[in-house]
Amino acid sequence: MTFGPAVGNVGMYVAREMLISVPEDQRQAYLRMVEEISDLKYQLGVEVARQLPRLLAEADPERVARYLAQVREVAAAGWKSGVEVAKQLPDLYDAPDTTLAGSYVDIVSQATAGPAEDTETAQLAIELDDLERELREMEPKVKRAQELRTQLAARDRRDEKRRKHAVELAAALPPILARLRPRYRPPYLEQVRQVAAADPEASLEAADTLLDLLNGERVSPEGAAEWVARGLDVLERNKEVGRGYFRLGSKYSLQVLEELKEGLALKSVARVLKLYATALSGQEVAIRATTEMQAVDVYGADHIILPPEMHFLEDDEGNFTAYKVATAHGAGRIEFGTYGFTLDSIPDTVARLRERYPETA
Amino acid sequence: MAVESQRVEDFKLTEEPYYLPLGNEVELFESAYHSRLPVMLKGPTGCGKTRFVEHMSWRLSRTLVTVACHEDLTASDLVGKYTLRGDETVWQDGPLTTAVKAGGIAYLDEIVEARKDTTVVIHPLTDDRRILPLEKKGEIVQAPDDFLLVISYNPGYQSVLKDLKHSTKQRFVAIEFDYPPPDLEESILKSESGIDDDTAAKLVKIAEKVRNLRTHGLEEGVSTRLLVYAGQLIQSGVEPIAACEATICKPITDDLEMQRSIVEIIATQF
Repeated sequence: MTFGPAVGNVGMYVAREMLISVPEDQRQAYLRMVEEISDLKYQLGVEVARQLPRLLAEADPERVARYLAQVREVAAAGWKSGVEVAKQLPDLYDAPDTTLAGSYVDIVSQATAGPAEDTETAQLAIELDDLERELREMEPKVKRAQELRTQLAARDRRDEKRRKHAVELAAALPPILARLRPRYRPPYLEQVRQVAAADPEASLEAADTLLDLLNGERVSPEGAAEWVARGLDVLERNKEVGRGYFRLGSKYSLQVLEELKEGLALKSVARVLKLYATALSGQEVAIRATTEMQAVDVYGADHIILPPEMHFLEDDEGNFTAYKVATAHGAGRIEFGTYGFTLDSIPDTVARLRERYPETA
Repeated sequence: MAVESQRVEDFKLTEEPYYLPLGNEVELFESAYHSRLPVMLKGPTGCGKTRFVEHMSWRLSRTLVTVACHEDLTASDLVGKYTLRGDETVWQDGPLTTAVKAGGIAYLDEIVEARKDTTVVIHPLTDDRRILPLEKKGEIVQAPDDFLLVISYNPGYQSVLKDLKHSTKQRFVAIEFDYPPPDLEESILKSESGIDDDTAAKLVKIAEKVRNLRTHGLEEGVSTRLLVYAGQLIQSGVEPIAACEATICKPITDDLEMQRSIVEIIATQF
């Protein structure tokens, strides 16, 4: 069914049977009236739509106009009172005393609106409306402020970490420089400077690794510069991965080093040499690099000390053979007790020598 | 070929298997046999346990029934079972029953690999009762005096899940084997493969060094059997390093670095 141009959303409140009960020539007017009143409040529209067919059937336009005006009057004070009045008024119009309806509307309007002098409530409501509107307008700004706060806090944390790592770097560099061979110090500092400018935490890793690489002559200063340059690319893409690169903790880092290296790295053959020495000597033997000499007993009988890089010969096979010869030599010393010898094991000889050279006893 | 269709005499060795005694194991075994005491041979793979039993079987002139135990071997497989033959159900003795009845030597190789119920079956054979109950047949076979039960056991392979129970271990006289001393191992290699003194000495030296890697990543050292294989390949014309790689290095480890270190040890000799 089509209700015509005035229908709008009124179809939501007007049931089919209500519309049928309205005289046909008044249906458009009925729908318009319901629509106008429902603009005030949806529930008012529903109630008025129920009551109007009865009033329209009486063919008294004046009563209909009066009904709508009185409903509006009460609804202006409070929509819930308006709904109740819209429901009760048609019955009061039928009362013999025609003033009853007017009095009823006055009482309910006044009761709903409260005393006329209570302007404070209205002002408070207005103020609240204003504030709520302002708050709604502020919402995007509040959200943005929160975002900025989070960003700045993250930057603060990052800067704090940066400062902390810079302090650590400040403490670490002098002893490293003392251990670094003098000729490598200028290129070393240049490489560490570049990494520190990008990320002080990564520069701590780079400082240690570059010390081993240059002192152990695993790469030339030019090779070190290339290794750092490729690491900086990684660092730019991902800080964590970059830090792993500079501590030689990534496959890529080792690959780059392999490309740039100038000989065979002990690290790459240490286990084979360890097994070789263990098999030859019949004792468990560890392989240590000369860079670890400060931490181990040089004459210990449980390890063999070898250079971290072997580059005496042209190719890896030759350099491995050089390592093997050195390992076999060390294993022989371990097997036949060079490092396990003490004077306590030859007491008779010691006694004879003391007797012969009493001045040294 | 089913065991039943073979004569038990078929299991008798007619030629002396080569065996070089390493200690008093021959005397111990003979004494255990004459005292009717079961024997347990302990030792690493390829050190000569099976060859020793063969030799003793020939020496004592007894038939030898060998069972290579595996994880699917059940008590029924050892003792025997009813099988369908045409329209009939007939009993077929297992290898253990065959050996018991014939009064020979029953050799259960790597007994710990077999299912648990097999060890229960052998218990009555290992004490003074010396009987083999054939439960399904309702029969008890009394072992004759010349029957001997021998088991082998590799302590290096055992784990919490696979180990002989003490109640089983303590029923046997144990003879422990290890790799032979260098001079004897050289003699074995020369005898078994025909290689010269120098090659034999080099192979034994390699074995000695590689055996040092036990507990450092190798489960077991190079067995004498593998050295014999190496000697046989060399004797047949294979280049020594290649022969050693194929027999000494690759069979004992899949670890590439371990393999490389073993190759380097081989290279120090050849």
